[in-house]
Amino acid sequence: MTAMEKVAWTELSVCVLTVVMVTALYPWLGNSASGAFGFLGFIACGIFFLRGRGKTVVIDERDREIEQLATRRGIETAWMVLFMTLIAIVLWSSFANDEVVPTGLLSWLIWVQFAICYGVKGFVAVRFYRSQRRAAQ
Amino acid sequence: MPRNSEPTLDNCIKELRSAEESMTQQALADHVGVTRQTIIALEGGAYTPSLALALRVAKVFDKSVEELFWLDD
Repeated sequence: MTAMEKVAWTELSVCVLTVVMVTALYPWLGNSASGAFGFLGFIACGIFFLRGRGKTVVIDERDREIEQLATRRGIETAWMVLFMTLIAIVLWSSFANDEVVPTGLLSWLIWVQFAICYGVKGFVAVRFYRSQRRAAQ
Repeated sequence: MPRNSEPTLDNCIKELRSAEESMTQQALADHVGVTRQTIIALEGGAYTPSLALALRVAKVFDKSVEELFWLDD
C-alpha cells in the first residue's frame, strides 16, 4: 500500500466515522450535533504517512494522477449536492409559502459539503488503487 | 489513466527485468523515481506511464520506448 493510498483510506474512514458520530448524536443534541463535524480535522493526520523515508519515493506520478481525479470527483459531487439542496430549499419555500431559511440549515449544509467532498475523494482514490492492483494481477 | 474505450499499452518490462540479474521491482522503482506499486501496475498493464517515465524506464534497459511499449489493440 502506497503512502497516498493510506491517506485516501484515512480520508474515507474519518468521513464515515464523522457522519456516523453526527447521526448518532443528533437525537440527543439536535442541531448542536453538527459540532461533531469538527472530527473531520483528523483528515490532516494523513500527512504522517507522507514523511520521507531515506531515498524511497513516497509520491509519484500515478499517485498524483489518482489524487487529481479523486479531488475533481469529490468537488463535483459536493457542488452537485449543494445545488440540488439549494433547489430543494427554494422549492420547499415556494410550496410552503415560507420564505425564511434557518441559518442552522446553512451551517449544516457547509459541514455536509466538506464531509461529502473528502468522503467521495477518499472513496474514489481507494477504488482506483484497488482496481489497478486487481488489473495488474 | 486508461479508460475502457481507450487502447492500453502492453510492455515487456517484466521479462527484461527478469533477464537482468538482481533487478528487483524496488530497484527499478528507485532507478526511475517511482514507487514499487507503480512498477507492479506498469508490469501488469494496469497503468499507462507518462512519456517521461517511459523514457526513464527505456534508458534503464538501454532500449527504445517502442521496444518496451506497444499498443494493445
